[in-house]
Amino acid sequence: MIIRKSYFWAIMVLGMLSASPASASINIFACEPEWGALAEEIGGDHVTVSVATTARQNAHHVSAKPSLLAKVRKADLVFCTGASLEIGWLPLLLRKAGGPDVQPETAGWLMASDYVDKLDVPDHVNRSMGHIHPEGNPHVHLNPHHILTVSEYLADRLAVIDPDHAADYGARLTAFQQRWTQTMEQWERNAGELKGAHVIVYHNGWSYLLDWLGMNAAAALEPKPGIPPTASHLEEVLRTVKAQNVQAILVAPHEDEKAAQWLSDQSGIPILHLPYTVGGNDKAQDLNGLFTETVRLLKGARS
Amino acid sequence: MSKKLLWAASAAVLLHASPALAGTDADIQALRAEIQAMKQMYEQKIDTLEDRIDSLQHVTKAQNVASVEPSAGPIETASVPATATRQTGDNSFNPAVSVILNGRYGSFSERDSELAGFAIGEETERPEEGLSIDETELNFSASVDDKFRGSATIALHEHDGEGVEIEIEEAYLETIALPHGVQAKAGRFFSDIGYLNSHHTHEDDFVDRPLPSRAFLNKAYNDDGVEVSWILPTDLYSEIGGSILQGDDFPAGGGDGSDFGSWTAYGRIGGDIGENTAWRAGVSTLQASGVERSANEDLVLFEGDSDLYIADARVVWAPTGNNHEEEVIVQGEYFIRNEDGSYDDTDAGTGAVFYDDRQTGWYAQGVYKFHPQWRAGLRYSALDSGNIPDALAGSALDADGHDPWNASGMIDWSNSEFSRLRLQFSREELANDLDDNQVMLQYIMSIGAHGAHAF
Repeated sequence: MIIRKSYFWAIMVLGMLSASPASASINIFACEPEWGALAEEIGGDHVTVSVATTARQNAHHVSAKPSLLAKVRKADLVFCTGASLEIGWLPLLLRKAGGPDVQPETAGWLMASDYVDKLDVPDHVNRSMGHIHPEGNPHVHLNPHHILTVSEYLADRLAVIDPDHAADYGARLTAFQQRWTQTMEQWERNAGELKGAHVIVYHNGWSYLLDWLGMNAAAALEPKPGIPPTASHLEEVLRTVKAQNVQAILVAPHEDEKAAQWLSDQSGIPILHLPYTVGGNDKAQDLNGLFTETVRLLKGARS
Repeated sequence: MSKKLLWAASAAVLLHASPALAGTDADIQALRAEIQAMKQMYEQKIDTLEDRIDSLQHVTKAQNVASVEPSAGPIETASVPATATRQTGDNSFNPAVSVILNGRYGSFSERDSELAGFAIGEETERPEEGLSIDETELNFSASVDDKFRGSATIALHEHDGEGVEIEIEEAYLETIALPHGVQAKAGRFFSDIGYLNSHHTHEDDFVDRPLPSRAFLNKAYNDDGVEVSWILPTDLYSEIGGSILQGDDFPAGGGDGSDFGSWTAYGRIGGDIGENTAWRAGVSTLQASGVERSANEDLVLFEGDSDLYIADARVVWAPTGNNHEEEVIVQGEYFIRNEDGSYDDTDAGTGAVFYDDRQTGWYAQGVYKFHPQWRAGLRYSALDSGNIPDALAGSALDADGHDPWNASGMIDWSNSEFSRLRLQFSREELANDLDDNQVMLQYIMSIGAHGAHAF
């Protein structure tokens, strides 16, 4: 017993020692790659960003993995989408490992979707409607105007959490916004011809992109949000799209391609792999790349 | 963040852009329209910025006075209402409520079932044949304030001819805002020992728990007490924790409230291997002293100390990097129980017999999700009841040279995150001459709030 006790204390002391050196930079825990990328844009050298998910993963279906517990424990800012997208794992991580400064409604807790107008807000909810979010569609990041809005809130929070570098965050924000506003115009000019075009989506993860570019979703491969495609639903989709001039079937890296492939074979409509988030393809390695690539690919599908 | 700066910026942009646009009226028109659009956009943005500066000042103030308003804090004064504030009235403070419906059909080739070499609790008995609702679980949870969260899980179940039993599975408060990775819990809860014990059965990958969980923990150990956990500040996830408990639940029992009847401790590490694999491994112990426990329907009595040690490991691998599409889960636990005291099998009339021995058990299982809705799994579990004193020959503790084992295969289908149907085949040889072939069909439905499940 004495031996056991001394081991215990040795571990405790070691733990304390390794904790003590005050880390100079702000630790940001980003749930999705797009927010991780934005955090790096605004935070620069003052922040260390860890991203919980990859472009290959469906951010709704992640588990509260041990590695994430270790990351949340160190976080000074938790920067996620919100609107119940991470409801299956983030609350658990926060309760178990999060400090008092990253809990809901504190300065260290930033949910991007809280600050933008959401689409598909249901006037009532029922689970028979599939996996719908009472707060509205959570996949807000594919409208670059939202990135602009959220960047301001992010800079504010960073200034609160790390007041010593508030001026730097402000300057980075201004520079980012100038850059972003310019490129956003380029994208919009570039994508003007896409207005009114019809595409097929797998899930409603593309709603904000389509809304931004004035495009339409002719059909979704999922019969209901979160319910994988069924044969009968695909047949129905095939019937309805025949009458319409559909340009492409949009598929994200985390979405299953089989249903899209079937529909493409049957209808002749091409599949279009879009990056969906940062890291979604080789060229979409930052936010600029994500949107530039998305617009380029969409235009390519049209010609 | 002045307006001037933004105007200067936009002017710079325009100047920079203009040479390319020199020329026709149409171009000039287009330019005008653009300037107009930009102007509008900037004005909009400036308004938002001013709002933000206001709210930032609020936030800073709030930081200084350490405001403890639980909700609708200053951060929410943004132009777009936060989701939490959209709900109105008292409902927004209601706890999250969920109900787990769990039912099954079972068919067994053997008329009876017994576990040779072990004195077992009530939950461990084989379920009824035919159709039955298994356990109906009601869970209520919500944050109490900004420091505490409360959760209660009430389970309703029936045992053969004994009517409905209402069990408080869990009723605890936990801290949500302690710094440095520390969390404390008080009340009744499933102890954090091994892997399966702290998980609710509706999260299980098989219809029934593996043999060691049944024999050593009566399915799961939940007791009244206080638990503290600490996640160490290491890059590799590592956590230690422990609890002191009343000692009232199997394998403890007879805690009279005058002392702490049992305590637990655990250490755990975990992490990722690349982007596609996550793992955890741990060791834990449950130490119960002064136990007075009756088992096998009150026919077997044990008095003494019961110490359980568990090693557990779990690996989750997503072959394509996307766990939602495809996933392989491999998991196992090894149990050692040392008991020091006396056993009395009143049915066999042994009288109280001095007992000081070791029993072991283990299971290993693999589950493969080959389609977002479909999973298949295999599990093997086995027990070794150890040596017994001669005086217990012929008693329930006498395995008669047989080591119980169980092999199971299952396949399940989940229409959504909230529903699951499962078919399981098991072969159980729990005692000499008991070769039980089992077919079980199960549904697990979750209605109400969207739960979060631990790894």
